[in-house]
Amino acid sequence: MKCLLCNRPIYWQVPIAKLFLFGPLTPPRICERCRAKFQHYMGPFCPCCGRSSGNGLCAECRRWQDQYGWVLHNRCLYHYNQAMKEFMHRYKFVGDYRLRAVFHAEMQSFIDRQQYDYLVPIPVTQETMATRGFNQTAGLIDGYDGHLLLTRAVEKGVPQSAKSREQRLQTPQPFKLQPDVSLDHRRILLVDDIYTTGRTLYHAATLLKAAGAASVSSLTLSG
Amino acid sequence: MDTKLLAGRRQLVNRWGQDQAQPANVVVSPTMTVEKTQVHCLRCDQRTSRAQAMLPNDQYYCPKCLNLGRVSTLARFYHVPEPNQFYPPADVLAWQGHLSSLQTRVASEVKHSMANHEHRLLWAVTGAGKTEMIFPTVAQALQRKERVGIASPRVDVCLELYPRFTAAFRVPIALLHGRAKESYSYKQLTICTTHQLLRFYHAFDLLIVDEVDAFPYASNKALLYATKQALKPTGGLLLMTATPGKTLFEAVRRGHLQVSYLPLRYHGHLLPEIHCHLCWHWRAMLNKGRLPAHLLFWLKTRCRSQQRFLLFVPRISDLGPLKDILQRVLPHSVKFATVYSNDPDRLTKVQAMRDHQYLFLVTTTILERGVTFPGIDVGVLGADEPVFSSSALVQIAGRVGRSAKCPNGQVHFWINEYSRSIRQAQKEIRTMNIKGRRLLSEMSAL
Repeated sequence: MKCLLCNRPIYWQVPIAKLFLFGPLTPPRICERCRAKFQHYMGPFCPCCGRSSGNGLCAECRRWQDQYGWVLHNRCLYHYNQAMKEFMHRYKFVGDYRLRAVFHAEMQSFIDRQQYDYLVPIPVTQETMATRGFNQTAGLIDGYDGHLLLTRAVEKGVPQSAKSREQRLQTPQPFKLQPDVSLDHRRILLVDDIYTTGRTLYHAATLLKAAGAASVSSLTLSG
Repeated sequence: MDTKLLAGRRQLVNRWGQDQAQPANVVVSPTMTVEKTQVHCLRCDQRTSRAQAMLPNDQYYCPKCLNLGRVSTLARFYHVPEPNQFYPPADVLAWQGHLSSLQTRVASEVKHSMANHEHRLLWAVTGAGKTEMIFPTVAQALQRKERVGIASPRVDVCLELYPRFTAAFRVPIALLHGRAKESYSYKQLTICTTHQLLRFYHAFDLLIVDEVDAFPYASNKALLYATKQALKPTGGLLLMTATPGKTLFEAVRRGHLQVSYLPLRYHGHLLPEIHCHLCWHWRAMLNKGRLPAHLLFWLKTRCRSQQRFLLFVPRISDLGPLKDILQRVLPHSVKFATVYSNDPDRLTKVQAMRDHQYLFLVTTTILERGVTFPGIDVGVLGADEPVFSSSALVQIAGRVGRSAKCPNGQVHFWINEYSRSIRQAQKEIRTMNIKGRRLLSEMSAL
């Protein structure tokens, strides 16, 4: 088995304890050296965006609080550092779909601990689907039946990742709810790849809340 | 879409939004074939299992050649057959230098062979002046309005070739490599890395591949395939190396490849032979802060006589302890540096060595080929380790005595034991020297 990121061979010894637990044995997909380059978020967290914050709600999330009157409860797994930037570049823009497996275990263990009715990956536009060939968010939670409650309209002009902070915050609602879905008292878990300003997730959450969802929380790989 | 940029190339174009009719001369072809258990990439000719190459909705991509832009079933190749519409000036060759009688003989042999579009191996020892020898061949091809490509597996080599060719030829030259800032432009003469050849399709009438035995070209099937694809089916191929490996010998033996030898350097001197010294557990000594006695003696004599040299080590992790020891045992007036592949100051350090600011460099295999420091000695600590292949060792030994002013120099290896590659390297050098001596006596008899 070779590391998906640096292509060096991975030496993996199955821990003895694992042999006695009759679960599936999942070998690591990246080597220790590459793994160490990614940095986990350690507490205390901002309860809203899930990033490190010394005292409660961070300044950015306070702005969301003022704007909407409620905040999203997001969990963010990794820092958006150089290694994560490179990972995202290779996964999304180069289009190496195999890389979806790299963080699969972390995503899985978080999702399994949550209580939700619908697991909703943030959708991509039809054009992205036709050129990239996959939805990067749905790829990250490969193996779960994501509920495709939302559709994304074609973006005019620049994609989200090429915009500045102010431009991002001014992005209009890109999503539409699928017709005839009822979300009465349903709990929603949104999944996205990167939390930057929160604009995308808040757009999605507003739409779902307006359709009657009881609670909307979210999980992002990085932010 | 500019069809000129597509000439001789295959460009990936997404199916999305490409419904309108194509310009008449564009050939559209599929990018991959999906087989029963595997997918086959038509750019790099490699197969991947379907599970590995899978995208949602029954689409597939090739994970093997991702770095050049993803090949997937979502896209198609656009290709325009090479039109060869070039208007080179009457005197393309601006180069004024002259070749030695030996070089002229080989050069005219190669020139004649390439006029007939043969496939040929030019086997010339390190420092034989290969680049100058192909000038007449390239000039001939350019005048015949042929498209010419010069490829090398190493970026450093391409970067070194480019100024030499721009000075020697009166045609615009395109330089392509992965780190290049400027985008592709259509030129009659192209210098590129071998990876870039994957983007070409039936483009070149003459393709010259330098250092064919270098990593990663030699063992990489995709790159061998790329060479075949980039060449027109009727085109001429010239492979150049100082150290042909097994596969090339085999191709020569079977008659797939013609071969030209040049066993002497341009200044007519023989190759320096390798001296080996056994020293056990040198790495353990290194980690304890000591050096093998002979190596220490060798270093000190060179520092005293101000003889410049390169010292090679097998691993980047050996550089640190060695540096500490050298700083301790050598006089403070001796300036040196360590260089490795990811060294941020790699280029400046090598330049400083060229400018005589350092007495010596301690390095890994990155400086094994393509660099020339006049009048140096070479030492290799741990030459028996597997990173040093026999061709690498011959190339390292070939750093010595390259200039006409100081054609002699010494090559010393410090080893735990004799490895097969060391024996092989010694044998290759000896064989070339035997051939060289024979040639010398023939010439003196004339």
